[in-house]
Amino acid sequence: MGVIDPNNAPPIPPGADQDAILKAVGDEITNRGFVIAKADKLFNWARSGSLWPMTFGLACCAVEMMHSASSRYDMDRYGMLFRPSPRQSDVMIVAGTLTNKMAPALRRVYDQMPEPRWVLSMGSCANGGGYYHYSYAVVRGCDRIVPVDVYVPGCPPTAEALIYGLLQLQKKIRRTATIART
Amino acid sequence: MNNIEQNDDVAGDIYAEAPLATMANYVRDILDDICETVTATNDEVLVRISSNDIANVLSKLRDDNHVAFNQLSDLTAVDYPERPARFEMVYQLLSISNNMRLRILAEVSEGQSVPSVTGVFSAANWAEREVWDMFGIFFAGHPDLRRLLTDYGFEGHPLRKDFPLTGHVEVRYDDTQRRVVNEPVHLVQEFRDFDFLSPWEGMQHAIDAEESDKNSDAN
Amino acid sequence: MAEMQIKPITMNFGPQHPAAHGVLRLVLEMDGEVIERADPHIGLLHRGTEKLIEHKTYVQALPYFDRLDYVSPMNQEHVWALAIEKALAIEVPRRAQFIRVLYCEIGRILNHLLNLTTFAIDVGAMTPLLWGFEEREQLMGFYERACGARLHAAYFRPGGVHQDLPTGLLEEIGDWADNFPSFINDMETLLTDNRIFKQRTVDIGVISEKEALDLGMSGPCIRASGVPWDLRKSQPYDVYAEMDFDIPIGKTGDCYARYLVRIEEMRQSLRIIHQCIADMPEGPVLAKNNKVTPPHRGDMKNSMEALIHHFKLYTEGFHVPEGESYTAVEAPKGEFGVYLVADGSNKPYRCKIRAPGFYFMAAVDYLSRGHMLADSVAIIGSLDIVFGEIDR
Repeated sequence: MGVIDPNNAPPIPPGADQDAILKAVGDEITNRGFVIAKADKLFNWARSGSLWPMTFGLACCAVEMMHSASSRYDMDRYGMLFRPSPRQSDVMIVAGTLTNKMAPALRRVYDQMPEPRWVLSMGSCANGGGYYHYSYAVVRGCDRIVPVDVYVPGCPPTAEALIYGLLQLQKKIRRTATIART
Repeated sequence: MNNIEQNDDVAGDIYAEAPLATMANYVRDILDDICETVTATNDEVLVRISSNDIANVLSKLRDDNHVAFNQLSDLTAVDYPERPARFEMVYQLLSISNNMRLRILAEVSEGQSVPSVTGVFSAANWAEREVWDMFGIFFAGHPDLRRLLTDYGFEGHPLRKDFPLTGHVEVRYDDTQRRVVNEPVHLVQEFRDFDFLSPWEGMQHAIDAEESDKNSDAN
Repeated sequence: MAEMQIKPITMNFGPQHPAAHGVLRLVLEMDGEVIERADPHIGLLHRGTEKLIEHKTYVQALPYFDRLDYVSPMNQEHVWALAIEKALAIEVPRRAQFIRVLYCEIGRILNHLLNLTTFAIDVGAMTPLLWGFEEREQLMGFYERACGARLHAAYFRPGGVHQDLPTGLLEEIGDWADNFPSFINDMETLLTDNRIFKQRTVDIGVISEKEALDLGMSGPCIRASGVPWDLRKSQPYDVYAEMDFDIPIGKTGDCYARYLVRIEEMRQSLRIIHQCIADMPEGPVLAKNNKVTPPHRGDMKNSMEALIHHFKLYTEGFHVPEGESYTAVEAPKGEFGVYLVADGSNKPYRCKIRAPGFYFMAAVDYLSRGHMLADSVAIIGSLDIVFGEIDR
């Protein structure tokens, strides 16, 4: 599909001419108060711009997570608002050590989240068992239970590192989320 | 010189000189036949008793107005597999008015049950549940002895010395069964447990074995 | 109309709950809105710390203590360092003792800030959290200046502290401590005389003196019930005996009293901090004992002997003679104790961690009976529960 000038039969190839025509059309529409965008881009903008995390603070990383949401490293300026309920949240931040006893609860909470949903694994205990890897009661990484999108390393990752991880998640969403059902 | 100093200036103390020794003597008097030994160590009085008398001992120590050990600080067990009586129960008491600590040690063999002290100190409730969970020592008379810390269907008693560090089962989510399943443990990298003894120091047992062989040969 | 029988229902105050202070599964039997019985299911954060400690050397086991009560990490490391020093009978240099006391009090303020602000948010006041966490950020900045890590410090070692404080840090802590009372005043303006806060906390979760002793309570909880007991005064360790500070004692033993005791403790901690900064002596920060404490890095790079000591200490570790001991400190939550059984080798034989929160959690059943569901949240918040130390 390209730009076709009704007067001349062959379509105009991409180049300065095509751009000029498109710009003229776009300006006319904008002047009348409409905005054009690709649907994908719009959804990605909405999804990544208002990622609502769910509080799944398990251990020490929860404290850094609270710090990242507080006054200094305010997460709210990125549109991230902590929701207590899984049914209203987009991303689950698994912050802390996941134990065998807690694993079914984690899975159940993940299952209650509506699509599209993402998981961010925070801290080395959630990434791969961490400091407690060899323990009898610890799940060696929350990715054994839920599929993870972004891993944030650290013990605990500083609040800044968590924000960095969340921004990476936003980039990932813009890159991979589409409305096409595959 | 230890950093935990005894504060000898507790108001109203009658043990101005050698407070621990005085307390040890007093405790020995109160407990009389029940206890096996009473000693005063660095900063604590140590009492060894038989495990069957524990409730009696604790209530005596709590109710006596002079010693007044009115708080149970800690209740735990230690596993010594090489001893005939495998476990050793440890009760840590605190007397607020005398500002003194007391430790009670009682030997328990495997399979033996220990009378519960929840009637004497309510704080013992969960502490005994934890000891049951971690060691498998049964407490007779406990109102609600269930596992406390380990997983719901966990088998085994983790803090025993013969329980492996990584345990027997691990969990993962199984997509086909749609639930979290227990599977036998499979570690990608084994736990590296170095004993760090140098080859010269670590060979002592082999040297001793050789010596005893030589001696037995000579005889 | 015929009388309706209300059956008690069993409700799960689930493991994932914004007000559960971590992973707590509280199974409540409710008669309408009133709690008949509360059965806390803990162990959802049980990581096997004690078993892991038995397989590590003494210094390798130190960071496990940071991760127990993770809101004031250095106070927990302190017990481990004290227990080992008691077993080895080594003397800690004066400067190290002052630094330890200073950072313990910073840890106390960290803990009370988190506890009070999250308690406030549980009962509905959102502002103190936002104000309080900025103060916490500054304190964590001090942690980072001293040891490199904001939260899990691994700073207190057996024999002293790991490295000296950078220049200028003490003045900055002093400046911060001068400004902090205005924050406490602001928070008190919001909460202390607030009708709604008082209605939510006065006469809720009352613990009498006798009950507190029976239930194994310690720290601010027992002091709010009227028992004047503080390990910093009665069994002082490090340089607490030289510090001049008061202990607040409450009268009523309810949630409000615990709140007030913690506010006042923060003010007293500031007094201790000012004294530490003023009296801080010069000198080494780690005991000079080549068999226990590692040498300076500069020495290690120049002297063969220091290199060998460094190598032996960081691989094999030091050996602790046989013996058992119980060491306790006044952690911000209560009496935090370590029962250490050493068998002469380089690894601890058994290390039992006596966490104050364990006994507080056990008391939740007793305290919540007869209260309403929302009160159980206030009770749990006021008891200062952190699951890292309860489940270990």
